[in-house]
Amino acid sequence: MLAWSLDEPERLGEVLPITGPTSIGRGGPLDDDPAPRTTLHRMRPGSTLAGPPIGSARIGRRQLVLEPRGEDEVHVRSIGPARVRVAGKVITEALARTGEIIEIHNAAVFLVTSRPAELPALGAGTPATFPYGAPDSFGMIGESEPAWKLREAIAFASSTSRHVLVLGESGVGKELAARAVHGLSPRHARPFIARNASTMPEALIDAELFGNVKNYPNPGMADRPGLIGEADESTLFLDEIGDLPEKCQVHMLRVLDGDGEYHRLGEAHARRSSFRLVAATNRSLDSLKHDFLARFTHRIVLPGLTERRDDVPLMLAEILRRTARKNPAIADRFFERRKGEIAEPRLAPDLVVRLLRHPFTHHVRELERLVWLALGTAESDYIGLTPDVERELEQSAESEVDAAELDRDTLARALAEHGRSPTKAAKALGLKNRFVLLRLLKKHGLSVSTEGEQS
Amino acid sequence: MIDVRLLRDTLELTLARDDSFPTMFYERLFTAHPEARALFHRSTPGAQNKMFAQKLTVLVDHLDDPAWLGRELATLAANHASYGVTAAMYPWVGEALLATLREACGDAWTDEAERAWTEAYASLVAAILG
Repeated sequence: MLAWSLDEPERLGEVLPITGPTSIGRGGPLDDDPAPRTTLHRMRPGSTLAGPPIGSARIGRRQLVLEPRGEDEVHVRSIGPARVRVAGKVITEALARTGEIIEIHNAAVFLVTSRPAELPALGAGTPATFPYGAPDSFGMIGESEPAWKLREAIAFASSTSRHVLVLGESGVGKELAARAVHGLSPRHARPFIARNASTMPEALIDAELFGNVKNYPNPGMADRPGLIGEADESTLFLDEIGDLPEKCQVHMLRVLDGDGEYHRLGEAHARRSSFRLVAATNRSLDSLKHDFLARFTHRIVLPGLTERRDDVPLMLAEILRRTARKNPAIADRFFERRKGEIAEPRLAPDLVVRLLRHPFTHHVRELERLVWLALGTAESDYIGLTPDVERELEQSAESEVDAAELDRDTLARALAEHGRSPTKAAKALGLKNRFVLLRLLKKHGLSVSTEGEQS
Repeated sequence: MIDVRLLRDTLELTLARDDSFPTMFYERLFTAHPEARALFHRSTPGAQNKMFAQKLTVLVDHLDDPAWLGRELATLAANHASYGVTAAMYPWVGEALLATLREACGDAWTDEAERAWTEAYASLVAAILG
């Protein structure tokens, strides 16, 4: 998958399908190609279309011969004039595994990725009419298999009126997914009501959700419809639903049933709201009561960036594009101009390579922060791997390495010793944050609330 | 008969050896003919360098494809005319190009390469100017 290109940045995210020995080089087939030649393809569900020949001036006419070895490796032979690196080392021949990077010096960066020869065709209603590699109509970016599976899951959930639970770590784009569910549904013409459950004062959660009559429960309170009333015929998005106290979860059980019946606080008669709840959490499902959880018919799990590395270059490009549009000074300093228009960013391949290897814990939010750090600490007109960015990446990576070494017993003990608080336990273990711990618990089949009994 | 293979080999060698080949070309051009600089105000130097390297490469890749070359050179002629490029400027570019290639190739530059590039450039310019 093309992750960076000096001369053809518009082709990011395109793939070189390697099913047998394959020649790669600039231009069309040559009589003395050592193997059949391929070019970059646009791979989307149900169609894999070959693009024009590779046009980068710095890639030789005969540059690489690639041959798959098993499912997760490709044999790389460099036969061209440009230097080729695999996993950072200059090579003439090497094996590259899935997730490793092949660089053609100052010309292109490829991420070795393992995909089916063709992505399966989409289910009905999945939006696919947007330019390759660009954000879709809901702002979601990605051409990887997980990105398309996610779009399909969102389209399926939006085609019904059932309640949806969106799961994923902090920064993966849960609200974006919730907005997409709303936007694709017949409710899209009505306003999308969004609130963060963790910001509601505990004493007022019921009033916030169900509304109240004037002066009830507290004197001086104005009457209000509540979020559920406001979201009638529309979508209510409640973020951080895992922070909702158990008793409030119980209070919501009835309104989440089919008829949407509820009472405003202080009001005798029942009301009905035909709302669809899309709730999101980055916490373990154990933080939700089982009967509350059961009301969510659809669960959409958002993959983290480490599960969809193929999309990191596309996201990086979009973040930079958006930043340049809003900040003329950044556009002037870091972007090329062609015929007077803002064109591609001056982006160093080293930064892309490092980001492709980075174990993201805060995903898109973390990527955005790293981009701003790179912009803010750049010493020239290039966006590159500055010492500050490098330090930041190293610190995160170190915490990830430590995390991998923690065994089940250590995790269980840390939780027990810190009152089952994931935040405190993560800190005591030296992990970057509680999300790293929660991911480790999941990996080991443990959870915050029940792990003590299991171990 | 122009030795197309020799042209391709020398150009590939130049691009692989020296990332700054297009920069060196423009520096040489603007030093010898400062008035040419005014023609390149619509794109940043980085973008201009890439466009130059890509255009030169694609032309050399297609030297044995007269139909493609005819179409491409007609477009190039129209674009150049609209930017204000005159016939007198083509030799400036030819001199800067050959001098830069000569320097970048070093020992690999031969009399045959000099002859091939001189002839190829002359025939491209003749086609552009009609």
